[in-house]
Amino acid sequence: MLSVSLAGIKLENPLMLASGILDQNGYTMKRILEKGAGAAVTKSIGKEPRSGYVPPIVSVIEGGLINAVGLSNPGIRNISGEIKIAKESNKPVIGSIFGATPDEFLSLAASMQDFGVDAVELNLSCPHVKGVGTEVGSDPSLVKEIVKTLKGSLRIPVFSKLSPNVNSVLEIANAAIDSDGLVLINTVKGMAIDVYARRPVLSNGFGGLSGPAIRPVGIRYVYEVKKELDPLIIGVGGIENGIHAIEYFMAGASAVQIGTALMKYGCQIFSNISREIGEFMKAEGFQELDQMVGAGIL
Amino acid sequence: MIHSKITEKIRETPSTCTLKFEWDAAVLPGQFIMIWIPGYGEIPMSISDTGNPKAITVKAYGPPSARLQELGVNDKLFFRGPYGVPFTEVKERKLIIGSGSGMACLMPLVDSKSTVMISAKKASELLYRGKINAENVIYITDDGSEGTRGFPDTVLRDFDTKEFHMVYVCGPEAMMYKVLGILSARQNRAEFSLERSMKCGIGICDSCSIDGIQLCRDGPVIGIERLKNSIEFGRSKLDHSGKRIRVEI
Repeated sequence: MLSVSLAGIKLENPLMLASGILDQNGYTMKRILEKGAGAAVTKSIGKEPRSGYVPPIVSVIEGGLINAVGLSNPGIRNISGEIKIAKESNKPVIGSIFGATPDEFLSLAASMQDFGVDAVELNLSCPHVKGVGTEVGSDPSLVKEIVKTLKGSLRIPVFSKLSPNVNSVLEIANAAIDSDGLVLINTVKGMAIDVYARRPVLSNGFGGLSGPAIRPVGIRYVYEVKKELDPLIIGVGGIENGIHAIEYFMAGASAVQIGTALMKYGCQIFSNISREIGEFMKAEGFQELDQMVGAGIL
Repeated sequence: MIHSKITEKIRETPSTCTLKFEWDAAVLPGQFIMIWIPGYGEIPMSISDTGNPKAITVKAYGPPSARLQELGVNDKLFFRGPYGVPFTEVKERKLIIGSGSGMACLMPLVDSKSTVMISAKKASELLYRGKINAENVIYITDDGSEGTRGFPDTVLRDFDTKEFHMVYVCGPEAMMYKVLGILSARQNRAEFSLERSMKCGIGICDSCSIDGIQLCRDGPVIGIERLKNSIEFGRSKLDHSGKRIRVEI
């Protein structure tokens, strides 16, 4: 009842581990997959190793979390072992990558394909590192070029993760429309100041807000993009229970990603949400997930 | 973020000092806080005195801990926590094995039924030397400048542990790995406080994970049975970038 096919990738349930949360150590991804996630997306990987920002990299606020981890990653040549470990779960693993140019994205994606990932997710939306992420993902012609380059060369599906921190999400979604799916949304740019220290908490100053506070923002963009452009959408932002996930399905998402909620609920959250979705479908008379996708769009 | 003020500063060894501060919170032995030194960084610190005032014992490893050591009485402290799973406390006789600054998280466990093995490179670096009110204190130094020359595992090998209801261990991974090896062949209950690069403290960044669990949330205290079956302990860990590196044993 909960299985779903995303651009040909079979997931036993529509709940994916979001990129950036508990996904740099292969053993962690493997455990989360074994505990009930339908698929896992790796931490975003670039060409070279990056240590990321000096902590504090997170600030917990009411309604969520602000983070500026700084794209810490071991570099593409050091990630294959972790992917191999995660794949021991026999579940789909999606490789997230970030870069500055189409060629850089292509080189990273080709390596990921060689490492055996089931799809790549393009990070066109990290809000806190110069020269990559949103800086790339807010330029429609560059986004179009990156997607075109990858789609012409890869065997595996390409998902584009987009940012809400742009003038027009619709314009960027349209530029990325040839992707096999759009992932909406990344974190919302934000900041927290400690009034006793009289300075921003995060060492980077600003960061990305995630968690329940951004769910209405995510729902709105999923709804709008699905209604206007009708691509395959993976929804992400503030999901903590089955009803939240269903809200995303009804806005137009075919699957969802979960990240910040692991802070509060641990990796048990995946099996809990699966159960809650099943209960809802039974009570409301849905046989297939597909019947709920876009059901809330007027 | 919680804020408090330093009420007392105690020089422990040439490289280590203890900072006391008021904090009216329930903290159990083995738990830790993420302490923020504005402009320098944020680091995990074990609570070395769980009463009130509470205390942390700081060794200068990098810029944040070096700056922390420069702070004095009345300076502000910023932190969040307490975090982590505490040690399981027992009323009976216990053996406490602490090496280097690892002794800090074990200090709240010490009582009159404790036998404490403290080790350091040399006599002047023995943490809490002369301050431990235990049944028995055994000093061990790498160079033999005080107590037994060697390491905790060399002493433990010929040390009868049958009478201890629990063994608590904290120190460098190489030492703990060897102690685990010795205790695995005996019937002792034991708990180890592990260390990995820690960034978020709240179970989401994956920096401190070992065998799929997060030390900041499900640790840092891990029981011997779980550790015996560990894939990563004593073998590999991730560096600050997430690159897998070998643990030197």
